[in-house]
Amino acid sequence: MMNRREFMTMAAAIGAAFGVGNLPEPVAAALRQIDPQTIPKLLYLQGQSCSGCSISLLQAREPTPLTLITRYSQLVFHADLSATSGSQAMDLIERYIAGEAGPYFLVLEGAIPEKMPTACKIGDKSLASLLESAARTMVGAVAIGACACDGGIPGAEGNLTGAVGLPKFFAQRKIDKSVIQIRGCSVHPDWVWQTVVHLVKIGMPELTEIGSPKLFFSRSIHETCPRYHDFQQEIFAAKLGDGGCLFQLGCLGQQTKADCSSRWWNGGQTWCINANAPCIGCASPLFAKQKNMPFYRMKKRKT
Amino acid sequence: MQIELGPLSRIEGHLNVKTTVIDNVVKDAQCVGEMFRGFEVILRGRDPLDAQQITQRICGVCPYAHAIASSYAQEKAYGITPPTNGRILHNLIQGANHLYDYILQFYQLSALDFIDITAIVNYHGTDRDLVQVRDWVKAELAAKNTFPGAPFLPRLKGQYLHNDEINIGALKHYIEAMEIQQKANRAAAIFGGKFPHATGIFPGGCAQKPTIDLISTYQALIEEVRDFIHQKYIPDLLAVAHAFPDYWHIGQSRGGFMSFGVLPLGPGADSRRLFAAGVLLDGKVRPVDFGLITEDVKYARYSSPSGLRVTEGQLTPAPEKNEAYTWVKAPRYNGQMVEVGPAARVLVDYKQGNNPQVTKLVDRFAAKARITAKQLNSVLGRHLCRAISAVIIADFLLEETERIEPGGPSALDLEIPATGEGFGATEASRGALLHYIRLQNHKIEKYECVVPTTWNCSPRDDRGNPGAMESALIGTKVANPAVQIESVRIVHSFDPCLACAVH
Repeated sequence: MMNRREFMTMAAAIGAAFGVGNLPEPVAAALRQIDPQTIPKLLYLQGQSCSGCSISLLQAREPTPLTLITRYSQLVFHADLSATSGSQAMDLIERYIAGEAGPYFLVLEGAIPEKMPTACKIGDKSLASLLESAARTMVGAVAIGACACDGGIPGAEGNLTGAVGLPKFFAQRKIDKSVIQIRGCSVHPDWVWQTVVHLVKIGMPELTEIGSPKLFFSRSIHETCPRYHDFQQEIFAAKLGDGGCLFQLGCLGQQTKADCSSRWWNGGQTWCINANAPCIGCASPLFAKQKNMPFYRMKKRKT
Repeated sequence: MQIELGPLSRIEGHLNVKTTVIDNVVKDAQCVGEMFRGFEVILRGRDPLDAQQITQRICGVCPYAHAIASSYAQEKAYGITPPTNGRILHNLIQGANHLYDYILQFYQLSALDFIDITAIVNYHGTDRDLVQVRDWVKAELAAKNTFPGAPFLPRLKGQYLHNDEINIGALKHYIEAMEIQQKANRAAAIFGGKFPHATGIFPGGCAQKPTIDLISTYQALIEEVRDFIHQKYIPDLLAVAHAFPDYWHIGQSRGGFMSFGVLPLGPGADSRRLFAAGVLLDGKVRPVDFGLITEDVKYARYSSPSGLRVTEGQLTPAPEKNEAYTWVKAPRYNGQMVEVGPAARVLVDYKQGNNPQVTKLVDRFAAKARITAKQLNSVLGRHLCRAISAVIIADFLLEETERIEPGGPSALDLEIPATGEGFGATEASRGALLHYIRLQNHKIEKYECVVPTTWNCSPRDDRGNPGAMESALIGTKVANPAVQIESVRIVHSFDPCLACAVH
């Protein structure tokens, strides 16, 4: 029987060869039995990000963020929480990326400035160079939020840096690694943490065709919207502040696949549509991409 | 000796600080913002109502401040004034965001600079959270991980608090703070729709109607937050101040102070505010004139002209530009360097005697710590001014809930004019935030943001004068030049947000 460390080294090697999504069944089965005290280690890096996803991750309620980073995972580095900084922090990051500190999952929040690598640096390294190196050693990767998945607002029409998400960044370099893609601007904390719990307790989650865990992203917001009845009865909000279905104000719940409408946000306190705010499609790969696709449809235009 | 302090952690974003140390004194410091996205260009040509959504994504830590500043700017451009409920809901959302941010800043972002987290291994009590952390730390150490105890260890070498009781108490509050910041954010989300990145904030008010059930839930959450501020946050801060009194005299910035004021007391964004606006230069407070704000770029990575006013701002990146050392521009007020943030907000209000509660709290804490108002310009001063802001804002939010007309209108039916322009100014938790919008053909023709950390992490201006944080670092005595925990404490006291600073 190999010990945990040997196993993880092997899993990392196989993961590197196949991508974490394509682990052979015996390895995937063994992954399911890994001691939850010590796996997975998460090396959390930020690209062109706003930290909104990180802040959202702190809004997890049950389990609490502290339990999630001590019992279900280990957050080996996070710029917002790590006590360390400077050369000590850089040494930690680089030793993980060099494969010298044990197996880890790369977690990326934020986009990558493909056309302007110096537009995002960590210490003296460009984010792009760190990610290229990490691709060789990581067990797998998790892209957190709209920016890391699809470029998000930094990658919106007319941007100057050529910002892209991690899947595209890897694809352009012919790096064959599957990336778990958790969309949202920001992500819902459950989407991320429960994916981590899934990795620990069961193994790889089932993913949709765009790489997102089916558990959270298989149905449209519209399908399970509490206001679906209003939609059927054609009770539509005509202006801001009205109740009813928000479709005529521009709600993008029909095109957006996520479970906000049943999960709600901030510990189940509320969510956008419950606050009469149209869904702006932040969990869609097309979020905010085009200038001529405004978030809202207000009928009136003063001349 | 040249020492780089980056990548700095427990801040928002990508910050490096390049220092030159001679004889254990920081002789020079350069603040380096290492991430650029170009929001102002991305906004051009978009629907104006996209702006309060897009600009929130400048910063996921203080998104609501951006939504509010954008809403104020759009209200000006559209020529509208929100209904009273609309403005109150704006305030309830923004104020709750301030509370969460202060608590997060003290516990999650700053406390580990002072508190000795390793004291937990000596814990013998029965508190479930502390037992969980203690057992986890012990297991980590026994497992011989390469980096045991991450992200709480390793940490910088330096002197930490010696008193186990205070250390363990603060650690318990670190854990509680995680829960309390959630309550503040839940309160804000009631009217904002979600946190981070509220979808419910609009120019002219909020889409949510303030029904009585929502108001009472909001009140209950904020009351819990207020209790935490008084019973835990302030005592912990005072304990740190008592153990590290030198930090009332470390980290002084060498310019003026500016605040745009926050939380308007009436429907118009121009109404008197809970904290007053003003520029404090040479000991005198004057009204703010946005026309006097310019941005220098000699040392920033842009080839667009230097010294432009906000209404004429430009953004042409030049990543390899000679002399440039950062993506952060150098904003100046009438050519002068100013610090923004909690100390500026409190000092500008205090000097004008605007809010009696500010005066009372400053005087009380100053007497307690045996300092004068001048020492608010320091590491501990900035932390104290956050706490003072928290106390005042929490009380105000609870009073404000009593002024709501339950169920009354809280939003306007918006009509977007073909042309128009407007400034929107407020205080983010990190300081003075300015948005400017100009419309052409019902679309955004120009959008400019001058953001708190742009002021505080500013590089040299064209005349070579350092920014606020640079000036606060220069002259600092450091025991261990390679590590400089003193400098790191100064940086953390400014609560830098680099995503904001560059945007």
